[in-house]
Order: sequence, then structure tokens, then C-alpha cells
Amino acid sequence: MTADLGRLLFEEWPEAIIATAADGRTLFWNRAAESIFGYTSAEAVNRLLRDLIVPEDRIHEEARILAETLASGQSTHESIRRAKNGSLIHVDATKKAIRGPDGALSVVISTEKDVTHLKVLRDARLLGARFGDLLESMPDGIVMVGSNGRIALANSRAAQLFGYDREELRTLQIEKLLPQRYRETHAGHRTGFFAQPHVREMGAGLELYGLRKDGSEFAVSISLSPLPAAEGGALVLAAIRDITERKQFERALEEKRAELKRANQAKGRFLAAMSHQLRTPLNAVLGFTGTLLMKLPGPLTRDQEKQLKMVQSGARHLLSLIDDLLDLAKIEAGTIELRAEPTLCAELVEDVAGSLRPLAKGRGLTLEVLTPDEELSVRVDQRALRQIVLNLVNNAVNFTDHGGIRIHLTRGLRAGTPTVEISVADTGIGIAAEDLGKLFTAFSRLDAARGRPSEGTGLGLHLSQKLAEALGGRILVLSEPGKGSTFTLVLPQA
Amino acid sequence: MAARILIVEDNKANLALVEYLLTTAGHQTLVATDGVEAVRLARQTQPDLVLCDLQVPVLDGYEVLEQLRGDPELSGLPVVAVTAFSMRGDRAYVLEAGFEGYIPKPIEPEKFVEQVEAYLRPELRSRRE
Repeated sequence: MTADLGRLLFEEWPEAIIATAADGRTLFWNRAAESIFGYTSAEAVNRLLRDLIVPEDRIHEEARILAETLASGQSTHESIRRAKNGSLIHVDATKKAIRGPDGALSVVISTEKDVTHLKVLRDARLLGARFGDLLESMPDGIVMVGSNGRIALANSRAAQLFGYDREELRTLQIEKLLPQRYRETHAGHRTGFFAQPHVREMGAGLELYGLRKDGSEFAVSISLSPLPAAEGGALVLAAIRDITERKQFERALEEKRAELKRANQAKGRFLAAMSHQLRTPLNAVLGFTGTLLMKLPGPLTRDQEKQLKMVQSGARHLLSLIDDLLDLAKIEAGTIELRAEPTLCAELVEDVAGSLRPLAKGRGLTLEVLTPDEELSVRVDQRALRQIVLNLVNNAVNFTDHGGIRIHLTRGLRAGTPTVEISVADTGIGIAAEDLGKLFTAFSRLDAARGRPSEGTGLGLHLSQKLAEALGGRILVLSEPGKGSTFTLVLPQA
Repeated sequence: MAARILIVEDNKANLALVEYLLTTAGHQTLVATDGVEAVRLARQTQPDLVLCDLQVPVLDGYEVLEQLRGDPELSGLPVVAVTAFSMRGDRAYVLEAGFEGYIPKPIEPEKFVEQVEAYLRPELRSRRE
């Protein structure tokens, strides 16, 4: 009975009780030793104490203490142990050497009390006394945690975030503030952090969640800073920010963005289908107008011919509107197909000028093309480039009553990038400074343009600018009302 | 010598236009208003050329092409797409699918006959100079 009681006392004593043989092997390892150092009795027995719980840099110290114990029979000291999970543990230890009747050493018994937390608390009290007011004024929740994972100090904001009283937080295991699924990995990270302390900034990690006392979770962002402390080893200061609201905003924003993208794509598909449907009946309108004007069915009177030409011109206008609209839809839906190929600019510009010269001549205007001696070539989609130049020259012709149009092809340099520039200068009505901003907006025909003979679609410049952007370039404009305008297409020469 | 041209088109006005232009140029026309009829007529009449809209009912233009290409008796029959899908990139897509030619809608009545005849054997062209 007394033997049993003795055994029970050893086993259940709140401090670690360890007995080692003369060769240093562990003979006995009680429950407190199991819980403090993390090794079970089965794991510990028969192992050298030095291999189990003595940190490398403490091996000499441990040997010295043992020698002292053997010499004087007993010794008391403070030391540091390494637990199975790697964390460092401060202990107050008492060792006693027990010798047999022959004086030979039979056993060394050691009781070791874990004082880590006491030390951490002491450090925290010192820091709290110095920085408490500062911590209270921080907008983030702040907790200081020792290497054992216990909270040493927390500010009111932290208590409020997690739904605890401040006093409840003190000494709480930090992992209690995490959802179960993170706890094990966090304990590992914590040990790693104390082994190599470094500042980790907020938002640098993965998605993190905090666990409130009532069991609910909330999204957090955490920054970590090591605090070297005097006695209890390092402390880490964690600043915790509740980012639930930010997450909600981000999610809402993301959903909105996806929704907009879908809507835009649906719009693109709709416009493409609609353009196709609109072209089909135009085929018959333009086709039969054409056969009549070709006089295939028979001769026409002058009036019939004049009126049919108006039908034809109206139908063609409608067709170019539909084409522009479809191009725009494709650009905006991001489905436009551009094929970059080497393009001789002079050739293309001459070609466009040639096609519009009859129109210019008909309006009594000159149309001049100035190209450099050297050959200028760019890699672009030819159809897109032609469309832009055609539009610019066509506009120039339509908005000029006297004088002429000059197309200038030059090499340029903008912000260090070599460019090829095609400028179209007219001596037309010009554009007021306040109207320049509206120029590239869809369907924004300017007041000055009212009553012009132009059959413009109102999409021309808008589409040209979008196409120029799709080619990596842009269109610039300079204008003086009454004197004329110069539109310059700037293309990077890649 | 006139050619026999099969027109595959389901829109009445467009059909009338193409028929008018081709018959005025002296050609003989055959008409199918859906894809199945097109394939049947092609087999039955062995035309010199097929003009095929891409969006016809039952079988679309691509399926019609596939069926005609799969028939050894029709090997060498030129099939030309006439389509309102006439935006950037559509031509390449159509030619890649295996059509001999591609004529975008709206057609240009002044050039249409010449465009079509380019796919006919020279002796079948109307030679309107």
C-alpha cells in the first residue's frame, strides 16, 4: 500500500521527475515530464537525457551541473530544455545523487519545474508597463506570445476581436484562437518562427481565420514581429486585423467584375448576331438597286436613276454603320482578330489617297501625299490600318470646303520609342478646343459638323481610335477653328 | 456555253437576286432551300458549280460541303460559300473549311457574275466583255 502510494506520488507529482542511471540513461520519467517535454515514458526510458532534452549549446552546462551534483550530492539550478516539438522550456531543476552502500553512484534523480510561462509573464509585465498605453491605442488586436505558445499580453482590441475578457486571454494557448483545422500546422510554424525570428508583414501570408470564443470564425490578416526579451527568451508580437469587411468588398467586387464581363460578352455576341441578321436583307436591297442601275431589266428615266442612286447611297451608309458596329463590338468583347504583317506604309497611304482623290476632286480640293525617301514599314494588321487612314482622309475631305488635304508619312520618336506617323492635315473648318474631348466619342457629331455633306456614321473616329489602340498606337489631334485640323496616327515601330 | 449552277439559299429575296444575275448572264440555275435538298439535287443533277449560303436549314453550309466531299461521284464539283459572315477573319475560316471560294454578302451585282465564273471551267463562262 505504501509502495503504491509512493509510486502514485512520483507519477502524479506536478513537476517533472526524472531518474537516470550512472551511465546517463533514463530509468524513470513521470507524467509531468511527459507533458512538459512531450516524450512518453516509453520513448524516454533507456535514452540518454542529453539526447532527449538538452539543447546543443547547453551540453557543457549540463555536464558541469552533473559534476557538481556528484561532488556535493545535490544541486539546484536554472536551465533550458528542448521539448520534443522543438520549443524551448525554462526549468528550475533540483538534482540529487543517490549512492549505493558501496558508495558507487546508483541513480541521479532530478525534479524539473517548467517556469517558462512565469518568465514570459514577467517579461510581458515589464513590456506591458512600458508599452501598455501604446498597445491600447493601436487599431489592431495585439497579442504577445511566448515560445510555448501561451499569450503573455493582449490589448483590449484583441480581446474584443476574439470575444474574450482581456484576463481570459492572458495565458491562453494562442492556438485556441485558431479554427481547429489550422491548430496543428500553426504550432509547427510557431516553433519554426522562434527558431528563426523575423518580421512578417501583414497580408504576406495565406488566407487566415480567427476563432472567436463563441466558435464563430472571421477572416484576419496578421503581422508578426519578434521581441527579444530579457528572461523568458523571445516573445512574438502579433498584430491582428479583422478583414471580414474587406473580404466582403473584394468578393462583391469580383462578382461584379465577372458579371460585367459576362454582360459585355453577351452584348458582343448579340451585336455580332444582329449585324449578321441586318446584312442579310441589305443584300437584296443593294443587289436589286445595283441590277436596276446596271439597267439589266431595261432603261431608266433620269429621275429613276437619281432616286435609285439615293437608295443605293442610303443602303451603303447603313452597311458601313453595321460593319463599324460589329468591329466595335469585337474590339470591346476582345475577340477582334488582328493579323500583324509587314506593311509598307507609303504604298498603303498612296492607295488610300488614290481611292479618295475622285471625291476630293469633286469637292474642288487638292489631295497631296508626302512620303520620305526611305522605306517605312510596320508590322500591323493591314485591314485595320487601311480602315483608320481611310477614315481620317475621308473626314478631312468632308470637313474641308477650300484648299486641300496633305497626308504626311514620317518617322518619329516618342518617349524613346521609334514610331511611324501618318498625319492628315486639312484646311477645313477646324474643331473648337472645348470639342476636342468629345471627338473620339461614339455618335458625338459636333455642332460644327451639322449640315455637312458628310455621310459619316458617327462611329468613324471612335472606331479608328479603338483600332489604333488595338494596334498599339493612338490618334492625336491638333486643330484651330477656321484654319484646319491635323490628325496624326502614331504607330510604334516594333 | 451555259453552266448549270445549284444555288443553296433560304432567303427568297437573296435567292431571286442571285438567280436573276446568273440567268441574265445566260446560266441555268437550280435551287435548294435547305441543306438536305441541296445534297439530293447535287447528286441527282451533277451541276457545274454550287453556290451555298452557310446558314441554311436542316444541314448548314459546312455540313452540305462535308456530304458533297464525301461523295466520289461529285469529286471535282466546286462549292463556293456566299455568306453574310463577311468580317475580318471569316474568309480564311471558310476557305480553311474546304470551300473553293468565298463571296461575301452583300454581293456586288456589278462584279458578282465575274466572281462566280472564276470558279467555272473557262468554256462555261459567259465571256461578257
